[in-house]
Amino acid sequence: MASIGKIARRTFLIGAAAVAGGVAVGYYYYRKPFANPLEADLGKGEATFNPYVKIGADNTITIVAPRAEMGQGVSTTLAAMVAEELDVGLDQVKVEHGAASYAYYNAAILQEGGPFAFFDESMTAEAVRSGLGVVGKLLALQGTGGSSSMRDGFDKMRQAGAAARQMLIAAAAQKLGVSAGELETASGTVLHKASGKSVTYGEVAASANTMPPPAEVRLKDKADWKLLGKPQKRVDMLAKVTGAPIFGIDVRLPEMLYGTVKMSPRFWSKPVSADLSKAEKMPGVVKIVPIETSYGHGFGVIAENTWAAFRAAEAIEAKWADPEYPLDSAAIDAALKQALTTKGSALRNDGDVDTAFADAPREKIVEADYAVPYLAHATMEPMNATARLKDGALDIWCGNQAPTLVRQLCANAVGIEQDKVTVHTTFLGGGFGRRVEMDYALCAALMAKEAGGRPVKVTWTREEDMRHDAYRPAAIGRFQARLGDDGLPVAVDMKVSSPSMIASTLRRLFPSLSAMGPDKTIVDGAYDQPYTIPNYRVSGIAAPVSIPVGSWRSVGSSINGFFHEGFMDEIAAAGKTDPVELRKKLMAAYPSALKVVEAVAGMAKWGEALPAGKAKGMAFTLSFGSWVGEIVQVADTPAGIRIEKVWIAADVGTALDPDIIKAQLISGAIYGLSAAMGQEITFADGMVEQSNFHDFDAMRIFQTPVFEVAVLENFHKMGGVGEVGTPPAAPALANAIFALTGKRIRRLPLSKEVTFA
Amino acid sequence: MRKLLIMLTPAAIILLAAPFATAQESQQPAPAAVDTAKGLPEWDKVYAVFSHPRCADCHVADDRPRWSGAHYGGTRVHGFNVQRGADGSGFGNPGLRCTTCHFSSNSKALHGPPGAENWHLAPAEMVWFGKSSAEICAQIKDPARNGGRSLQDVALHVRDDKLVAWGWAPGADREPAPGSAEETYTAIENWMAAGAPCPAAQ
Amino acid sequence: MRLTVDGQSFDIDADPEMPLLWALRDLVGKTGPKFGCGIAACGACTVHVDGQPVRSCSLPVGEVSGPITTIEGISAGGKLHPVQQAWLEEQVAQCGYCQAGQIMSAVALLEEVADPSDDDIDNAMGGNLCRCGTYPKIRAAIKKAAALKTAGL
Repeated sequence: MASIGKIARRTFLIGAAAVAGGVAVGYYYYRKPFANPLEADLGKGEATFNPYVKIGADNTITIVAPRAEMGQGVSTTLAAMVAEELDVGLDQVKVEHGAASYAYYNAAILQEGGPFAFFDESMTAEAVRSGLGVVGKLLALQGTGGSSSMRDGFDKMRQAGAAARQMLIAAAAQKLGVSAGELETASGTVLHKASGKSVTYGEVAASANTMPPPAEVRLKDKADWKLLGKPQKRVDMLAKVTGAPIFGIDVRLPEMLYGTVKMSPRFWSKPVSADLSKAEKMPGVVKIVPIETSYGHGFGVIAENTWAAFRAAEAIEAKWADPEYPLDSAAIDAALKQALTTKGSALRNDGDVDTAFADAPREKIVEADYAVPYLAHATMEPMNATARLKDGALDIWCGNQAPTLVRQLCANAVGIEQDKVTVHTTFLGGGFGRRVEMDYALCAALMAKEAGGRPVKVTWTREEDMRHDAYRPAAIGRFQARLGDDGLPVAVDMKVSSPSMIASTLRRLFPSLSAMGPDKTIVDGAYDQPYTIPNYRVSGIAAPVSIPVGSWRSVGSSINGFFHEGFMDEIAAAGKTDPVELRKKLMAAYPSALKVVEAVAGMAKWGEALPAGKAKGMAFTLSFGSWVGEIVQVADTPAGIRIEKVWIAADVGTALDPDIIKAQLISGAIYGLSAAMGQEITFADGMVEQSNFHDFDAMRIFQTPVFEVAVLENFHKMGGVGEVGTPPAAPALANAIFALTGKRIRRLPLSKEVTFA
Repeated sequence: MRKLLIMLTPAAIILLAAPFATAQESQQPAPAAVDTAKGLPEWDKVYAVFSHPRCADCHVADDRPRWSGAHYGGTRVHGFNVQRGADGSGFGNPGLRCTTCHFSSNSKALHGPPGAENWHLAPAEMVWFGKSSAEICAQIKDPARNGGRSLQDVALHVRDDKLVAWGWAPGADREPAPGSAEETYTAIENWMAAGAPCPAAQ
Repeated sequence: MRLTVDGQSFDIDADPEMPLLWALRDLVGKTGPKFGCGIAACGACTVHVDGQPVRSCSLPVGEVSGPITTIEGISAGGKLHPVQQAWLEEQVAQCGYCQAGQIMSAVALLEEVADPSDDDIDNAMGGNLCRCGTYPKIRAAIKKAAALKTAGL
């Protein structure tokens, strides 16, 4: 693992991006508290205690859950944290996303951005973690990602609830003329048991608001939790089963126009020539405007309805410049292979790998080349945003994973100050990392500038969405192991080459900055795994291919989970060790990992004989602080391979809502299996070949296996849940197919080699 | 849904029963002497149509229609678990009928669903997909496997049926079946006149 | 052009080729049905026409002859449809974007098959994509909805 000296010398990239980003958004003193954004917008009789709690005189309690609700249940569990300490039921509160505000910065999103494994608790690692937490605040980035919302919110949100409750008690004590110590709270009421007198929170909210905030906030013991740790009814469920207008695409405003975009099918390329005359004459078209952003070039169509805009966009005739990157998938693959011949940066380098391989006999060597393709996010809700620029003020409505960035980038794009921008964050019809990007918001903001003060709802077609993503990067890996006489690896050398996700993200979000240092996301999920191997090196190389790449559910671990765990299965097979036994032996130093492996193997009855034509495969990945083991059972059927059953065991440290966590683990696994089975984004003539769900599909209900999930709480730190189910899914499936057919598939998608039922 | 069943059932009865009735009325006179040299080239034209994906993709043995085209990566099973239907009707399953997506005209969207009235699978016994020329030829002459039709009825069905006609007008992004309805009708007539010879089995 | 949507009549001025989905969303103001793909490949836009499930993104509004029911029109008198009730009880939705379409397909299935098997469910729901992977809960909720419906709830 890297020492602090090495870090200082190299400046690892995520830190560099973070600090550089800080320059761009403006520094904030770490200790200085941010203003409470709720104060600006209080209703009559409403009082606010902190950025998370608002109480009306009628006892309407509003909790702000300032993270993007994209299905992961974040609004429910964040609200439950506040409600728990405020002593109110979840059914008593209104939950809102709230405004874009630096007050809602996410400190945890960067915390694991240093080059340390989650289990590395050395002084260096901890120092960098707390340093990056500070950077999180300096950046004041209100972001949802990195499976960090619970870890970030756990203390903040509970403290917000507890502080408000203490102030309400103090105010009630004054009003009732009793001492605060004699008062109890329940369901939004302060009760004086001795006298039987009580007041609602609403009745004392206004006076509580003037109380000094408590010097010390007391939080409940875990044993006293009423909401946390128990399954809650999701606060967003009713709206979602009744078709309520909660998504960005559902926004409707008076005088609203509609629009779409047609961006260059070759990334970054400008139009060489364009003929808009045909498109401009189409019925319902209002205006066609050029669009130029840090995401590239193209046209925006403003029309009287969405369909008219779609049709006009199709009628735009344009020629686009040649791309700056390799033209097709074969050439991209060659660029990745070329990069793999360079040395790269070793994020893990235990023992002496070169010496360990120097005298290795041929028969003790295991070697393999792996590859994964580019992938689109393909959220169900295509990219969209609604914007209105009127009287020098920009309002923008969209589902997004970073409201303060939307505010900042859109302000720059239309040339106004940030305080003139209001971001209305809606529910997200899927995020998975796609809505960390800003392209949909920038396009709408620029089009609003041309709409004469009328709002414009800009909806992308599915084709536009599929062909203008910030893709999960393609990657290739070359792996080598030397086995000992006991069949266990004495040395493992892993090299991964992939375009840098961080460098690509910087280009889009902070184009004035250049990336420096190694990008640890290239090896995330491979360098930081809880295996003990005497000589163990994992190196990453950034390949110079500038197709936009970004965060795709579980980021680097989505790639390296497959690489690392596929190769471990090969080591097990070559050394004639059972794959579960191999993990147990190599993970002996990490009790949490061991317990996960034992749990999942026990659930799946690993080792028991299966009927002919069925087989199981397993994989394990530690990512975003959670330890996850998955076992997949496949069956050979006349229609192809059927995924019958999936077992998942996950140690998340502290499980705040077991049902939501289980749903997320299954969701993550289905996301990973979908990609492994059949997804790939390929290129020809500099353009993405896929366009819609007929050629970029995902798992459907009839392909869905039965799931059995166990949530463990052994590790002493909390882990994330939104992404952690994804990394082990692909390798567990590929390993099961190997067990079933003897065919070792090292290149995704698996559908290139086998048919799925 | 009841409404659809009521609607479909008579439709199905008409489709199936009418040809039977005609077959009985229009007993052909004894066919002319078989002229292989004249007949086989005509059959080849017919086979080129019947075996074309626009026709064969819905004349399947395994109850699953096919998709064909470059953007599908060749020919593959229709997505979404679309099937003939548990009732054998060829109109799909409850909740997912052919007509859930296929309407009376072709979608104009790129890769959108094609459409024609009464979109459905050919009856199970009329399998063409993956069959050789000799197999389809033998089958088309067998009333038990051609919907109870005389060859004359087959020719008329090819000329006049609206769903069959779709094969020659499948929408902008799909390759149409070769020739036209009229040309195929003529080829069948010529083939019949030549004694309806079938190619030798491979 | 006159459309009957969720029991209410709407006069709209639309090109007959405009897909029903956009007529509903942009002209009538019914945003319950969602745009997902535009080619009938994801099911998010599913509504009923004459009680039959259709992908409104691909159905030209000019071809519509019967009354239209959207997700916004299936609960009567403030009471959720049994399918919605089951969805709520099973806590099916994650991001929720596909669920209007899922629910409309499930409602259509249960109109014909009162007590669907796993196969019936798989055969009916294959056209409805969910990127969050809520399928196991959808299966459970359809079965619960069947029970609620049979019990007359």
